Amino acid sequence: MEPVESQTRAESTVAERSSDQSTASAAPATSLPRVERRRNPRTWETPPAPVPPTHLDDYKAIVGAAEIDELKFLASTLKGRTVKMVNSTAVGGGVAEMLNQLVPLLKELEVDTHWDVITGGNDFFEVTKAFHNALQGSEYNLTQHARDIFLMHNEQNRQRIQFTEDFIVIHDPQPAALIRERQKSPQRWIWRCHIDLSNPNPDVWGFLRPFIEQYDAAIFSSQSFARQLPIPQYLFYPCIDPLSEKNKEIDDSFVQQVCDEFGIDRSRPIVTQVSRFDRAKDPVGVIQAFKQARKYVDCQLVMAGGGATDDPEGSAVLKEVKEAAGDDRDIIILDLPPWCALEINALQRASTIIVQKSIKEGFGLTVTEALWKGKPTIAGAVGGIPNQIIHKLTGALVHSVDGCAYQIRYLLTHPDFAKQLGQNGHEHVKENFLMSTNVRRWLLLLRILLAGVAK
Amino acid sequence: MTTTATMPTQTRMKVKPFYFNTSANLLRITQQKANSLSELLAALQECPEGSIFQHTFRTLQEHHFIREGFSNDFAHWALSACNEPSLAEGLASVDVREFTSVADLRARFVQIVEDFLQRVPAAGPRAAKETFYFCSSNTVVIPTSFVANSLYEFAEGLRGVSVHCIHHHFIEARLRLKLMSNDFSQWLYEDLGLTEAARQLNRIDIYTLTLEDVREQIIRIVERALI
Repeated sequence: MEPVESQTRAESTVAERSSDQSTASAAPATSLPRVERRRNPRTWETPPAPVPPTHLDDYKAIVGAAEIDELKFLASTLKGRTVKMVNSTAVGGGVAEMLNQLVPLLKELEVDTHWDVITGGNDFFEVTKAFHNALQGSEYNLTQHARDIFLMHNEQNRQRIQFTEDFIVIHDPQPAALIRERQKSPQRWIWRCHIDLSNPNPDVWGFLRPFIEQYDAAIFSSQSFARQLPIPQYLFYPCIDPLSEKNKEIDDSFVQQVCDEFGIDRSRPIVTQVSRFDRAKDPVGVIQAFKQARKYVDCQLVMAGGGATDDPEGSAVLKEVKEAAGDDRDIIILDLPPWCALEINALQRASTIIVQKSIKEGFGLTVTEALWKGKPTIAGAVGGIPNQIIHKLTGALVHSVDGCAYQIRYLLTHPDFAKQLGQNGHEHVKENFLMSTNVRRWLLLLRILLAGVAK
Repeated sequence: MTTTATMPTQTRMKVKPFYFNTSANLLRITQQKANSLSELLAALQECPEGSIFQHTFRTLQEHHFIREGFSNDFAHWALSACNEPSLAEGLASVDVREFTSVADLRARFVQIVEDFLQRVPAAGPRAAKETFYFCSSNTVVIPTSFVANSLYEFAEGLRGVSVHCIHHHFIEARLRLKLMSNDFSQWLYEDLGLTEAARQLNRIDIYTLTLEDVREQIIRIVERALI
């Protein structure tokens, strides 16, 4: 940072704070729309080029050579075995992203792994989207027509795809009925459920359940997502890739550059929430908590998200967020396109505290990302978040706006405790929520099923 | 540096090698769960031994980086979901190293919860803030590339292995050995005759240290024995 620029930023900060502290009528005259606060904004008309795939040895520096040796040993016992992963989309969404990382790593370990994507018309994907929502608790009237469409497309895919591998892994409900292809050979079929089944629509679950019961094992992302089933159920936490754009180590000069672009003052505490503009993430509650906390401690709030351009509800939520923020110049709202992983990484690293005040959540990978970066993290005690945040040990769990405000105040005024939470959180992720751990879980499961000790 | 030459026990006889192994675990979700302390007690009495092992020995391994404030999942749940600090303290004070069988460990937890519910019966049916889901795990033992034929190589192995290996030999081992000891102390005592070092290892407090701290303390004791 140039000394002159620092001076300008410091002066600007003083001006912003004094405008906040003056009368309300003074604020609109001096404040700018948030997007205009960015200096030299990058242009995001096209996504950046894809990042080259990572290799197993790249993880040694992060998890240690002993961990990689363990993976190699486990894989050696599966040599010559073949695996097929089947899901419903090759791009977009967390499952495809995970398979794009997992499949090459398994291949590198000489576990011959193939990936097939099912096909289907609009009618099929409309039905499966409705199933998806219903399985996560939405109201749905399951008709015979919807059942027929589901089964017809599964049947077409069953005839189109070859199932000759030793292990067949079916991801999510869309291709679940492919189990009908199961042969009487020692082939093992695994259902990997990535969604929350804790409160499913009984009709849809009742329809799918007979298929699921034919598998050799089911995998869920949280204990609370599992169902009563006669087959072994395993817990595979979702994971992050520590080498991805979103999570890799980055130079502090880039962090500074991003903060400069967005008008974030790194000399003052930064509280950040990264998430889609979605009511389930309670962005308005975050602003309320921030405003409560700021009565006691100086800080800025960064709300970095996306989804407002392609989603009508996201656009409405963004409007609510802007209204809640009002003319407060310490609240910086960023509506970012999906390919801003590096900028998100920088924002998270620049933060003093990260908040994820969800009121409904799947697993909450933004929490994982925050913990990985060693940040003291405050998050709603919902979905998979309590698996990641052990209250007062790896972060702070909250249940309300007031609780969130208190934790912001407490952590900002107890930096040693906050630092310890951050360190513990980082270790917790290293132990449980990294891609290398995910690879280990897969190798273990295949080995256990092969040995027939799962039942 | 060939400090092993100074070890009289190793010059006298051929030492039985110490093979460093580790274990990898895959979490299984069982059918048992508890939404109150009464349900916890019932599940503690009925759940498979693998669940008791998972929520005590294994969870200590999963949270090996926490120096203070985490002992086992039952204690954590009693505090965070049931807001019963005295019960949580009782459950947290259970030291897994005092048990050479999971059955005895289960009996101790059952006794603590029973005693508490006798004293505070109203706490039994009170709904917990979160459900306790009983898990278990499938374990696979994995050999490492480290083998020690001398105390010097033993120290080298301790530096190179993962913390899971330390947990496998130092904490879980007593369930295999059925002894109030661990693989490291047994080797030091039985194969090298280092009684004092073996005893010192057994006194390391795993509940106030991270597993990395434990590793460092073991190495320090072994290095002192090397001199």
